[in-house]
Amino acid sequence: ATRSDFSSLWSIETAAVFVLFVCVPRVWFLNFFKGTLKFTDKHEWVRVEGSIGTVGISNYAQEALGDVVYCGLPEVGQKLEQMEEFGALESVKAASELYSPLTGEVSEINTELAENPGLVNKDCYGEGWLIKMSIEKPEELDGLMDQSAYDKFVKSLED
Amino acid sequence: MSRPVLEVVRLGLVSYSEAMRVQRFYVDRVKSRPSSAWTLLLCEHSPVYTIGIRTSQYPDRDLDLLRTKGAEVHKTNRGGLITFHGPGQLVCYPILHLGLLKKGIRWYVGQLERTVVDVCGQFGLRANTSPLTGVWIRDHKVCAIGIHCSRYVTSHGLALNCDVDLSWFSHIAPCGLDKGVTSLSREMQRRICVEESVHPLLHSFSRNFNCDLHDAAPPHLHRDPGPCPGHISGHS
Repeated sequence: ATRSDFSSLWSIETAAVFVLFVCVPRVWFLNFFKGTLKFTDKHEWVRVEGSIGTVGISNYAQEALGDVVYCGLPEVGQKLEQMEEFGALESVKAASELYSPLTGEVSEINTELAENPGLVNKDCYGEGWLIKMSIEKPEELDGLMDQSAYDKFVKSLED
Repeated sequence: MSRPVLEVVRLGLVSYSEAMRVQRFYVDRVKSRPSSAWTLLLCEHSPVYTIGIRTSQYPDRDLDLLRTKGAEVHKTNRGGLITFHGPGQLVCYPILHLGLLKKGIRWYVGQLERTVVDVCGQFGLRANTSPLTGVWIRDHKVCAIGIHCSRYVTSHGLALNCDVDLSWFSHIAPCGLDKGVTSLSREMQRRICVEESVHPLLHSFSRNFNCDLHDAAPPHLHRDPGPCPGHISGHS
């Protein structure tokens, strides 16, 4: 084998190594972190993990609200219809209703928010989650916006 | 969108429950048809204490004690804590669609505060705002604000002390705060009644919200016959 053969082999392997160990994990990591986020036009998001959906409000929503001082959340076990009002967030003496993105049953509520409602502002996609719920009608997810559609929707509101 | 139009509906002196019924009518109208006219409800209430969604701070026995003072007590779906409404206080409930305005709740509350600061300015009074929602003259609250927003439609609103008997506030910590209250009359050292405050409020509202205001009659809502069937037409 000539030197040039080795060189070209080396560059192919390097490229392969780069793709396998750098690009793929990075893409995987980003997808995992964002999860399969779907959005409603009322600025709630739902992240599907197996048969459970975690629900919260988007960054656009938390900015428009201001500092959240109180989270009025439903009881565990409460059944929700898609678009049904399930609670309210209070900020600047204003109580803003929350709408269920899906039909299902509340399986968990974020009890951290009782002591620390500001988590909704600080980390709206992470620790500021509101409720978890079962997903009774998975087909409802198809009607929700994915990240890029939601980004476009928010842009249209700001114009 | 072109300049929004708000219908000004004057209810006069009404019970809190009655005002909520009328408000619900207008809120439902805007929710079902966002392009329908928005509304500015103006009224005074018979004595009532109201609390917002943070109800755990007010156990029932405390609320029962307030009832012994001669006022009604109502739990509401607005933000904010406990406050008092009574004769001599101008209460204003703007019902509009924030989505069509492309604005959020924080902007809306700020605009209401600015509107009331302007009203005080028209009387030669210097009012201010703070991180605590409401309008203050020095550190005494002259106007309380508490809002509800559902599907972008606003309800509840503001309560401006004109010549209300401020001793009603001594039975509560207004809005949960250990601060005093005041009124336009107390600050001006002369009686300023609700009627005198209406035009300044409408003028400020129209300017701050960049909208047109037209007078409109209250709705004819079906109700059980009561002692004053004409009460709802709102002649004070």
